[in-house]
Order: sequence, then structure tokens, then C-alpha cells
Amino acid sequence: MNTLNCKIIEILNLTDIRLVQLSRDNTLSLSLREMKTLQNYFQKLQRNPTDVELETIAQTWSEHCKHKTLTGHIEYIQEQGNRKTKTKYDNVLKETIFKATTELAKPWCLSVFKDNAGIIEFDNKNAAAFKVETHNHPSALEPYGGSATGIGGVIRDILGVGLGAKPLANTDVFCFGNINLPQDSVPSDIHHPKRIMKGVVSGVRDYGNKMGIPTVNGAVYFDEGYIGNPLVYCGTMGILPKNKIEKTVCPGDLVLLVGGKTGRDGIHGATFSSIRLNKESDVRAVQIGNPIVEKKVLDALLKARDMNLYSALTDCGAGGLSSAVGELGEKTGVKIQLEKVPLKYDGLSPWEIWISEAQERMVLSVPAKNRNKILEIFKQEEVEAVYIGEFTDDKRLILYYNEDVVADIDMEFLHDGIPKPLRAARYKIIHEIRQKPVKISADKIAKSLKAVLSDLNVCSKEWIIRQYDHEVQGQTVIKPLHGSSIEISGPGDASVINPFTIVKGTKKGIVLSCGMNPQYGKINPYKMAASAIEESLRNAVCVGADIEKIALLDNFCWGNTNKPEILGSLIRSMLACYDMSKAFGTPFISGKDSLHNEYSIDGERYSIPSSLLVSAIGIIEDISKTVTMPFKEKGNKVILLGLTRNELGGSIFSKINKIKAGMFPEVFPKESLLIMKKIHEAIGKGIIQACHDLSEGGLAVAASEMAFSSTLGVKINIDAVLCKERIMPAEILFSESNGRFLVEIKHQDFAKFKNIFKKTIYSEIGIVEEENIIFESKKNKILIQESTKDLYEIWTNPLKNL
Amino acid sequence: MYKIEIKTKKMFKNSNAASILEEVKGLSITGVKRVDYSPLYFIDANLTFDEVKKIASELLADQITQEWIITKEKTDTKENVEKKSQGQSFIEVYYKKGVMDAPAESVVKAVKDLGIAKEIKVKTGHRYCFWGDISNEVLEMIAKKILSNNIIQGYKIN
Repeated sequence: MNTLNCKIIEILNLTDIRLVQLSRDNTLSLSLREMKTLQNYFQKLQRNPTDVELETIAQTWSEHCKHKTLTGHIEYIQEQGNRKTKTKYDNVLKETIFKATTELAKPWCLSVFKDNAGIIEFDNKNAAAFKVETHNHPSALEPYGGSATGIGGVIRDILGVGLGAKPLANTDVFCFGNINLPQDSVPSDIHHPKRIMKGVVSGVRDYGNKMGIPTVNGAVYFDEGYIGNPLVYCGTMGILPKNKIEKTVCPGDLVLLVGGKTGRDGIHGATFSSIRLNKESDVRAVQIGNPIVEKKVLDALLKARDMNLYSALTDCGAGGLSSAVGELGEKTGVKIQLEKVPLKYDGLSPWEIWISEAQERMVLSVPAKNRNKILEIFKQEEVEAVYIGEFTDDKRLILYYNEDVVADIDMEFLHDGIPKPLRAARYKIIHEIRQKPVKISADKIAKSLKAVLSDLNVCSKEWIIRQYDHEVQGQTVIKPLHGSSIEISGPGDASVINPFTIVKGTKKGIVLSCGMNPQYGKINPYKMAASAIEESLRNAVCVGADIEKIALLDNFCWGNTNKPEILGSLIRSMLACYDMSKAFGTPFISGKDSLHNEYSIDGERYSIPSSLLVSAIGIIEDISKTVTMPFKEKGNKVILLGLTRNELGGSIFSKINKIKAGMFPEVFPKESLLIMKKIHEAIGKGIIQACHDLSEGGLAVAASEMAFSSTLGVKINIDAVLCKERIMPAEILFSESNGRFLVEIKHQDFAKFKNIFKKTIYSEIGIVEEENIIFESKKNKILIQESTKDLYEIWTNPLKNL
Repeated sequence: MYKIEIKTKKMFKNSNAASILEEVKGLSITGVKRVDYSPLYFIDANLTFDEVKKIASELLADQITQEWIITKEKTDTKENVEKKSQGQSFIEVYYKKGVMDAPAESVVKAVKDLGIAKEIKVKTGHRYCFWGDISNEVLEMIAKKILSNNIIQGYKIN
């Protein structure tokens, strides 16, 4: 091997300590066992690796690309009281989340967990693809660039799924520290949460809006635990023809690199994502996006796709060319001329070119006969496109820099040679205790209602949502905000896209929703995951989705999973994912984990709250059969579907009133699944005027939101609420029990309603009024009466004028 | 090297500046009476002054709401130069070397579209003017906490 353009790294004779040091000094993020596997491989070859080879292996074996924690061996010990159970997992992802999908075997799931995104059937000719990614560490360092490249990256996932899908909508979910902290209580090496929030929102806005993709769904959570490590989840949904789902790379196909030039940006992003954030974090991991380039790539790619000019493609994400080319050539082999890669500036070493995470790049496999034709397409759209190599049949990755071979690795070793780690996981189930009965006056309930409505996790997110274009492409049927007039914006449950510009004349819609509640995870990760799943489903069902055709995406953001307790809580939540996915019949089709979300303050290490985002995608047969959440007409009946339980654990009410005890909300799939099916039937028959799910803040918040979004009022009879047990009015109003919906029905439809819902639990609890939001319990002599306008003000104020 | 500063005309609101003023207040800093903001473009090319004027007026500035100032660095050639008044402090923010500058890339392309075929290099920056009696320490804090991110940007106070 000629070494003119690369360095030979001494590894053959290194001791264990030196191997670890080599990994650390070069930000390889490889364990000793992995370094020794590497050493053995090169010992057999009787040579030392080049820097290019070492970096390629480190990137391919990174947590970000290989998910080695969840695909490795795990010994999980669960303790409940005095009972201990031990379970061994060889690949916990396959044994929980994938397993549910395999067992459910839904024929409309067209591609699951194997491509850049999950794909479900849209109609007989088209399919919908959905992916959610995270971009947490880059956003902590540079909020604007980090979130922009987060959304840019997930859009490329959709461009790179199958043979390319057309992006139709973006989603975004963020977790930030408390934005109201005084500046001097924020450590000097951490951006203030408010600055992070503003930067992150602007980044998503500037990238998504410029790409001409509407941002239609999302959520924001605030918790002090995210102060040094915000979470930025970005999703994209797209549509593609069903006959463009499979990729086929053939030996002899050319490797075409299209899009942006390569620079030093984002070097070590893949390995960096496995490292805790601290003062010395590698600044090269920061990337800056350029949406204009990506928009041109999008336009050119879809044109080339429809002319059948390429046989496979993928995006350059974490790990850059190394990851993209490595994945495409895994089964064949590939040789690349690195000097052909267009550079932003001179001076990049071959290894930097190979693993750079410069943005807006895609790699295509082009049959030689289309060599010139495809270049013309990219030229027309002013997108740089350069052939950098060829797929081979020798199952080797061979990289050249001019005449020199700078890397020559066996594909099998590269992709399957990683030793499976063995990790310990432990979880002690915390016994939940019911709080003392909450006997408080009407006055205190009213004060609590106002405090809950103005809590950052409940209040209006209009300031964020309005920065996004949620209408571009003109296909957003159900939008993120709803109100009876232009000045009023209530919180929608889910969004619906009618992709009529692609599927001419279609009446069908694609519904997108999400569910998350990191508060529950602090005590009960199983209930957190189950609740997040059910919330995402409830949200989708509220607008008209059919529970029989909803698929899920999981995004786990966890702390340092080297700690057995933290890994244990992750396992607990994955077990819930399996149980709930099976119980609701909703398969997971894609997901991503981001582990090691840990940061340091004054030498102390902190993990973020365990955070599972569940995103749902469903197909609606007829977009005219959808509903929104504001009340529609004075005098209509208000009905609560589902059973209220004494579940104040983790609730906003308990946080505000400093109530430590409380049962965390459980999910009862049998009860809620039937309700969800019946809602779909009732919406189809046009008898539901408005529908809203009950989540944070419970009944009191849901009823208030439906009222102030419509500028109408509502009168709720607390005594009429069907409860599992006898509980106090405040508990009824603020319990966050799952499985509940508030619906509005016209009097003349009530007989039909009763007929549809006869086997479900529901209570007729109120009536839509002209003004004022009233909650009354005659039994307990409680009467709360607030003006609709005042409550709306309280709800909109916290995140107004930032 | 030409430096082009794009200023908002006095009768128009500069929302960027207004939001910076709000953030300054959010840091409990008193004494800042007004903030002005202008984007900066540095153009490194063998251009005539007329060509730079064309770029400033036809490409970079909105002729109704904005005006431009061109400075040829390292020479005395200046046009539309504004005199520094008392009680004004300036902070300029730039990307560090090697950080991708997407607006600059767009300017390079747009200059070609304007019909100027010469090879040019562009760098962008931001210039903030703070009115009021403000200590250097406070300016440093504003630069660090509001205007720049040390990881990708540097700043200059004068």
C-alpha cells in the first residue's frame, strides 16, 4: 500500500492501554474490545491500518450507525418488591419492537426497519414514507445550524428512501430547559435555554420553509433536565410510487455523488454522537446547512427517478460518504477515487473527505448506460454531480487517492465484524402510592386551572408554529392550529395532508401525530412509553384516522446507557412498546435511538430525562370525513369517552401543587381501542362535530381548549364524569388518565351516537355554552366559572412576544 | 476587498434590531437606548467600483427600504460613509474560517447572474450598533450571549 496521501497508524504492537488511548485521541469512540477486534483483523493482514481505514471502521461501528447497545447482548434484571427476574437479550430491538411488527404482519407495511424510512401503503399505486431523526448534540452547541441540518438530514432520508420519495410534510418536537431561568443561574459554558429554543426554532423554520415543505405537526416540552442537552427531533413524510421502493445495486454501476461540496464540516459527527457533551466537545462536529442546494437536489433527483436513470440511492448523513457508499456497496463491493470528490477548499486529507458530514449530498448507483443522461438532468437544475467510483463484485471497499490505495477493507468485516458488546441493565420498579384525597376549594381549583393552562408544557406554542409555513404545497387539510376566527388559534391534535398534486384526484389523506411525556418516565418508563404510544394514536384518531391503519415510529433519547439503571429504564420502555404495539395492532415501521445524552456542569454529570417520542402515520380514506377540536355550536352535547381514574402521578396539576405521590396513568388498550374504532365510525357518519384528546392537564384543560378555540363556552358537570373509583372534583378535572376523548355531538345525533358507542364507556358531561367556561359539582358544592377570553389569554401569554 | 454594509433606512422598522434590543433587555442590561443592525458582505475580487455598486444596489439592498455603504478596505476609497457619533458602539460578527457560509455562496451565484463574470470570493457578517453609555464589559457580554456563538463565530468590538 502506497502511503503518500495517508498515514499508517501503528496498532499491531499496541498494548491495551495504548489502544484505548488511540481511540480517545482520534475521537474514534471505540471500546477496547472493538479496538482489539480491529487489531486482530490487521494482524491477520500483517499490516497496520491507514488513517482512512481506521476512521472508516470507527464510523461504521459507531453507536449512531450500528446501534450497538440495542443490537448487542444485554443482561436485564428487573426487581419488583422482593422478586427479581433476569432476562437475556441478544438484540433487544429485534426482540421487542421489530418482533411486534413481524407478529402483526400488516400487509400494508411495505418496508420496515431496513431503509432510510418506514413505508406504508397509501393507495394501490403509491406509498407514504415517514422518518423521524434527532440532532441533539449539534443543536446544543450551535442551535441554529444544528436544528437546520437536523431537518435537512431527515428530508434527505425521505429523498433517499427506496428510489426517492417526494417530501410532503415536516414534523418537529423539541425538549428544552426552563426558558425562564435567570441568565446567571445558567452555567457559563452552556447556552441559555431561551437562546437554544430561539436558535432551534429559527433553524427548522429557515430550512423547512426554504425547501418548500410545510411543517405541520410537533410538540415542545420543557424540563430543567434538558438544560445542557436539548432534544431536537425532526421528521419528514413523503410519497413515492409503490414500484420505486426497492433498490438494486449491480456490479458495474457507477457511483454518482450529487449536491453540495465536501469540507471539514461535521467531521466525527457519527462518533461524536456517542460522546457526552462537555467543554471540550469537538467543534468540527458542527454543520451548517444550505437549503437552496438541497431544494435543487430534490428537484433534480425526482426528475431522474421518474426517468429510471438510477438503480439505488442513499443520503450522506452521519459518517458521510463512508456510511452512504459503504451501505450501498455492502453486498457487492465498491472502489472510489477520493480525489474526484468536489471540495469546498484545498487541504483535506483522504480520511477527512471520506467521513466528512458536509450537508446536502446524496450518492446514487447509476447503470453505465445512463452515464450522460443523468448528468444532463443535474446540470439543468444546477446541481453538481460527479462520478467518484464504481460498484464491484469483490465485496471489498477499496479507496484510492489518485494512484494510491488508501483503504482496502473486506465488506463483511466492516459491516459484520463488530463484536457484540455485553451490557448490564437493571430496573427496580417503583411502587407508586396514591396521593391523599385532594380536597380543595373552587377558588383553588380555578387558580390551578389557570396555572396549568399557563404551564410551559400546556400553553400555546403559536409563537413557534406560526414561524413555520404549514400551508406550502397547498395540501394541508387539517392544520396545526384551529380557531373560530383569525385571532384565535387552538391546539390541533394531528395534521392531515391530501397529496392531490402527486396523486391526482385522490380523496385520501395522510395523518401525522405524535405523543410524548418525559415526566412519566422519571418514575415509570413503562407507563411513559405506553402513554406516548396511546397519545399519538388518540391524536390521530381525533381528526379521523382509522386505528386499523396506523403505523408508529419510535425515537428514544436516553441518558448514559453505560449505567445499568438507565439502560434498564430503556428496556422497560421497549417492553411497553412491544405490548402496546401488539395490543393496538399498530406496527412500528422505523425508529432511531440517541443514547449518551449526558452533559457536565461543574464536573458533575447529568443524564437527560428518559424521553421517548412516538410519531404516528395513518391513512384516511376520505379527507372530507375529518374533524377539528374547537366546539362548533352552542347547545351541543359534550361527551367524555373513556374512564377517569385517580391518576395524578406526573401530572401538571401535581407539579404545580407540589403533590409528590400519585398513580401514573396506565394504558388499558382493550377499553381505548374500542373507543378509537367507534370514533372513526362516528366521524365517518358525520355525527362528531369536534373531538379532542385528554392529555396534559386532563379534562379541565381539554374542555377549556375546545371552548376558547371556538370563542364559545362550556358547562361541565363534574358529577357526571364516570370514574373508576370515587375521587374528588380536582382529581377528576386534572387526572391525566389515558384512553379519554372529549367529543361534541348535536342533540339530534345523540340517538345514533348512543347506538355506535353502546359497548363503550362514556359519560354525558356537559353542554356547549355561548360564553364562560364552567365546571360544577353540586355534590361537592364546587362551582368554577371563568371567562373564555380570560382563559385564552392565560393560555397564550407565556410564549407570546419572545 | 470591498466591504458592503446594508442599512435599513431610518423611516423603516428593522425587526432584527428590535429583537436584539428585546434580548438585551432580557439580560437585565440597562443603558442600551437603541440598536441598529446591518448585514455585511465582504467581496474579494478584481471588481471596478461601479461593479461593486451594482452588486450593492441591485442585489444586496432593497432599494425602497435599505441603503448601502461601500468601503474599499486598506484604501481611503469610501462612499456613503457614516460618521460615528458619540454614544455609539459597534459589534461585528463573522463566521470563523472553514465554517460554511451559505448566504455567501448564494451571493457568488447571484453576482454571476447579474452578468459579472469575474471570479469572486464572498464572506458575510453582521454589524450591530448600540446606542447608549455601554461599558466594554457589557458589550462583551452582549456579543457572547446574544450575537455570536463562539464555536462558529468571532466578533470585533469598537
